[in-house]
Amino acid sequence: MNLPLFKQMMKIHAKGMSNYAFGSAFYILLMFWLYPGIADNTGALNELLKSMPEGIVNAFNIQGGFGSMEAFISGEYYGLILPLLLSIFSIMLSTGLMARLVDQGSMSYLLSTPTTRRQVAITQAGVLSAGLLLIILVTTGAGLLGYVWFIGDQFEFNGARYIEMNVVAWMLFIAASGITFLISSVINDEKKALGTSGFIIIGMFALDMLGKISGSVDWLRYGSIFSLYRPSDIAAGSGDPLLASLVLLAIGLACFAAGIIAFSKRDLPL
Amino acid sequence: MLVVDGLTKLFPGGKGINDVSFTVEQGEVFGFLGPNGAGKSTTIRHIMGFMKPDRGSASIKGLDTWKQQGIVQKLVGYLPGEIAFIEGMTGKEFLDFLARMQRVDSAVRRKQLIDRLQFDVSTPIRKMSKGMKQKVGIVAAFMHSPELIILDEPTSGLDPLMQQLFIELVLEEKARGTTFLMSSHSFPEIERTCDRAAIIKDGVLVATNNIHELQSMQRKLVVIVFEHPEDAEAFVQSGQVPAESRDGRRVTVAVQGNYNELIHEAAKYKVRSLDITAQNLEDVFMQYYDRKGAAAR
Repeated sequence: MNLPLFKQMMKIHAKGMSNYAFGSAFYILLMFWLYPGIADNTGALNELLKSMPEGIVNAFNIQGGFGSMEAFISGEYYGLILPLLLSIFSIMLSTGLMARLVDQGSMSYLLSTPTTRRQVAITQAGVLSAGLLLIILVTTGAGLLGYVWFIGDQFEFNGARYIEMNVVAWMLFIAASGITFLISSVINDEKKALGTSGFIIIGMFALDMLGKISGSVDWLRYGSIFSLYRPSDIAAGSGDPLLASLVLLAIGLACFAAGIIAFSKRDLPL
Repeated sequence: MLVVDGLTKLFPGGKGINDVSFTVEQGEVFGFLGPNGAGKSTTIRHIMGFMKPDRGSASIKGLDTWKQQGIVQKLVGYLPGEIAFIEGMTGKEFLDFLARMQRVDSAVRRKQLIDRLQFDVSTPIRKMSKGMKQKVGIVAAFMHSPELIILDEPTSGLDPLMQQLFIELVLEEKARGTTFLMSSHSFPEIERTCDRAAIIKDGVLVATNNIHELQSMQRKLVVIVFEHPEDAEAFVQSGQVPAESRDGRRVTVAVQGNYNELIHEAAKYKVRSLDITAQNLEDVFMQYYDRKGAAAR
């Protein structure tokens, strides 16, 4: 870890990170604010869900229904919007931290100072992880704040499950940003890195969704890290979030390590 | 100080560098010359540790530039051939950041250099002209007073006045004992600053020469204007001194040592005027290239 580099990179990317964090916080507050109105019609909404094809309900992670606050939020935010938001964040930032600097050539300045490539790569991975952590923390915090402000004691809310959901989402994106970081560390061309990591991450997301829509292509989901992320199961208290988290964390750490090693050993066109 | 030993790197498609070897002594200014695409930048990339050689090595003060990347850089200042700074910063922010990365307190020297080069450091990098970026790059390469400064095409984008100032800067640093490796295709710049120069072509080192040696290899071009065009014709026809070109009564002859033959032959005719120009180093190098090319054929 190179401290001056870390600080500088955080400074450059602070605006982008806080945009994502505040966007996410705002959305989750909105959801909490809306919930009391929806909760009054829980029965009718759950009936509506039942009338929808099961595949669609599964695909959008709304099978939890509207019975409890965490079930609602798992469907309305953690099921679709948050994974998409964080996917875009991981793809954009990891490309900006590695492939872009190589493509534009400014990496040559970082490497002309007494800093090893490994230190540079570890620092950039640290910036990516810090940004991710920031977004998750702000989102979780906003959710808890929303609960205090808008829900209070009116409705059922299982705080522990809500935190669990956030932890698994965090682990999912450690894995996803590990993958995008690895791609960005081995590709010289910024656009190609962006395209490849976008294709893989969004592709995995789509595979998971397709697998959920139709039982016959269920196997598609095994190729996707998103299959380990089941917010509606966590909200319902089922599944094994601890195991899922550990597997996701292991994937993430392995990819980060591979990216750092690959970057230290390859030829750079600077 | 800098030893490049049998450095070989072949790219898919046949380009690359092959068995490049040279040594730069402490306190020397070493020129690295060649046309575009000859392999100058590839060699410099290896010296900076950006690429792993297929064979051979580059080392600075005994430290291998690939294996000890991160340590070697303490000794080096670098100006890339194509300058790209990190986006979203001003010149000052960039230089301050780089100084922290270099881990040398260079505030005083940095200010001196900025004053010398006369540019506004508070300009955002994306608004800078090429020449201004070049100035920021020069400050970045010099400010931490490294022992070895590697410059890839240092004066491209600078106006003549700044090129002059740059040459002065290099000569001052040289007087302090700084070693330089400077790639260029600006020959006057090399002529004025370098002690020795290596010439690279198609990835192969063609020659390493003392600059004075190269200067002594210079041919002189003598332009003789004869009184009568017929005399000019006869002079060329005699073939005693090979003529470069003839235009009416004006004949251009290239002389390299054979002054007597020229005078004897020219004395046979009435000469109206005579003009001598020294060939510049660029042409000396071109001659080198041609000769090598002819030998290959």
